[in-house]
Amino acid sequence: MSKRFRAIFLALAVLLCAVSLAFAGPGAEKPAGGKITIGYTGYPGGLTPFWAEMAQYMKEEAAAQGVNLIDVSPTVADAAQQKDSMDNLINRGVQGIIIGAIDNRAFGESLKRAAEKKIVCVAVDTAIDDPYVTALAQTDNLSSARVLGQYIVDHTATKGKVLILGGTLGHQTGDARRDGVKQVLEANGFEVIFRACDWNDSKALETATFELAANKDIVAVFGCWDPGALAGLAAVKQRGLLDKVKVYGFDGLPPALKSIKDGELTATIKQDNKQMAQVIMRSVVAQIKGQPSVKKLLIDGFVIDKSNVDKYLK
Amino acid sequence: MRATGSTAARSVMWKGVQPLLGLVIIYALFAAVSGTFRTFDTLKTILTQAVILGTMAAGPTIVLIAGGLDLSIGSIFCLVAVGAGLMLNAHWPVALLVIASLAIGAASGAVNGFITIGTGIPAFIGTLGMMKVYRGLAEILGMNKDMSKFPASFQAIGSGYLIPILIMAVSFLLVWIFLSRTRLGFNCYAIGGSNEVSRLAGVPVRRYYLIYYTLGGFFAALSALIQASRLNFTNSSWGNGMELDAIAAVIIGGTSLSGGVGGIGRTVIGVLIVTTLNAGLSHLGVSSSWQRISIGVVIILAVWLDVVQRRRELKA
Repeated sequence: MSKRFRAIFLALAVLLCAVSLAFAGPGAEKPAGGKITIGYTGYPGGLTPFWAEMAQYMKEEAAAQGVNLIDVSPTVADAAQQKDSMDNLINRGVQGIIIGAIDNRAFGESLKRAAEKKIVCVAVDTAIDDPYVTALAQTDNLSSARVLGQYIVDHTATKGKVLILGGTLGHQTGDARRDGVKQVLEANGFEVIFRACDWNDSKALETATFELAANKDIVAVFGCWDPGALAGLAAVKQRGLLDKVKVYGFDGLPPALKSIKDGELTATIKQDNKQMAQVIMRSVVAQIKGQPSVKKLLIDGFVIDKSNVDKYLK
Repeated sequence: MRATGSTAARSVMWKGVQPLLGLVIIYALFAAVSGTFRTFDTLKTILTQAVILGTMAAGPTIVLIAGGLDLSIGSIFCLVAVGAGLMLNAHWPVALLVIASLAIGAASGAVNGFITIGTGIPAFIGTLGMMKVYRGLAEILGMNKDMSKFPASFQAIGSGYLIPILIMAVSFLLVWIFLSRTRLGFNCYAIGGSNEVSRLAGVPVRRYYLIYYTLGGFFAALSALIQASRLNFTNSSWGNGMELDAIAAVIIGGTSLSGGVGGIGRTVIGVLIVTTLNAGLSHLGVSSSWQRISIGVVIILAVWLDVVQRRRELKA
């Protein structure tokens, strides 16, 4: 029996190798019909409406540009999985890849591989510090955060501590938002408590709850992303501090706007993800066609508060 | 008697062949349907993408065969990744930090084994508790720290195709030697088959369990080092749910959850089935949500086949 089992096992293993090698060609197929194919891997849309909207805008702009779009965005915020999805796109022979990075530090080797295959790689929302990334469209996070920092200064009567609920440390977008707000607040005599929450809403809630209990003189909470800010708001409400502690966000997402309308969240920064999607899609298509293109677009964010929220609430 | 023996033998043979047959069919189907799937680059990518899961799954293969269960390996993965990041930030020599990281992983696994056998708490509960402990420790250690941009000598561990695939292959080979050529390995099957009978036969079950759990932690640590070097950063959110992915790959390969049956060859096939499914579906433009669903269906199918065959064996 043992010999027979081994023979069958070996035969199947040989068959697998034969199938693999027989089918394995030197490179990926070119897309049919000469139509450009663009791959998109973004932050999971299921985790935040900002990225769900982004994926939709990408789809709309791809249709407008007459190109195929393959969306392989992961469903969980796992940088390794996103890197794998990018490697799969490279093997599929796409001509361009748009990356909305879960973490901007994870792509080094994949970008090099893409460049070797002459695939144009561009970034949206989060900058990737790599020579093979040839275009970027994002909110000017640093300057927008400074605008918000000034807004917080102007709307806080008593100087005290401000809690910043951050993204992942070393993440370009989160760091810029933290730095912009922090610089203005510290220049105006506020003390800043920064806590990295890895873009995780539960962690933001837990951190805010703990810090509000430990620091009675917190006068404001800034969440570097709207769902994180809403988690901070939940902690403020739980402790019955809504009249003493103001909460600010960043993104301009519908739930945050509704909260502003309801008089709970004080303000948020509106990001224009539609413009980001349009600009970056046009840039990647133009680069593939060898035409002049936008290489860097920093879009100014602006403050939405109770005075103008109606204009942006859908 | 002879007929019964022959039926049982055929059943064992068929069980071993099924996962490999499944892998061949899955690979051939994707290769037939997707033009971009049947490239040498895709083959290399599948093997590279299998490295993290494969290296990690080597541990649960041993633990599950011995009738144990370790739910904390995802958190050990995270703890080791954070620990390695901190050591790299502190400019430790790469060789030293690799040894230290593997030691942390092995020690964490040993603690799990000690808790499980020392207290008599079911492995599910004991390792569930340690999963929280290791995760909490990783969060405390990694809090407010940027652990990224590692030296090239460290990045080399997970770069390219060759080195990571080689590490995975050596891990599999070592586990194969362990399970098939050592007393510890033989007794792994005996203990998994019947803990009590093994004890009565003089096998030092408690001591052996400690070693099996230690090996589980070791391979989780090795896997974490490869991922940290591959992505060039670490943080304390890593490894969530990875223990279940690894256990799923082991089960899909045909190792029994109830212990006593299995092997590293089966795990290799299980890991390749999961990775090929993910890559193949991705080539067909299927979203990652559907990829998860398909893996779930494959797990249920694999266990169902196992259950059906066990019933047949009992009847025979």
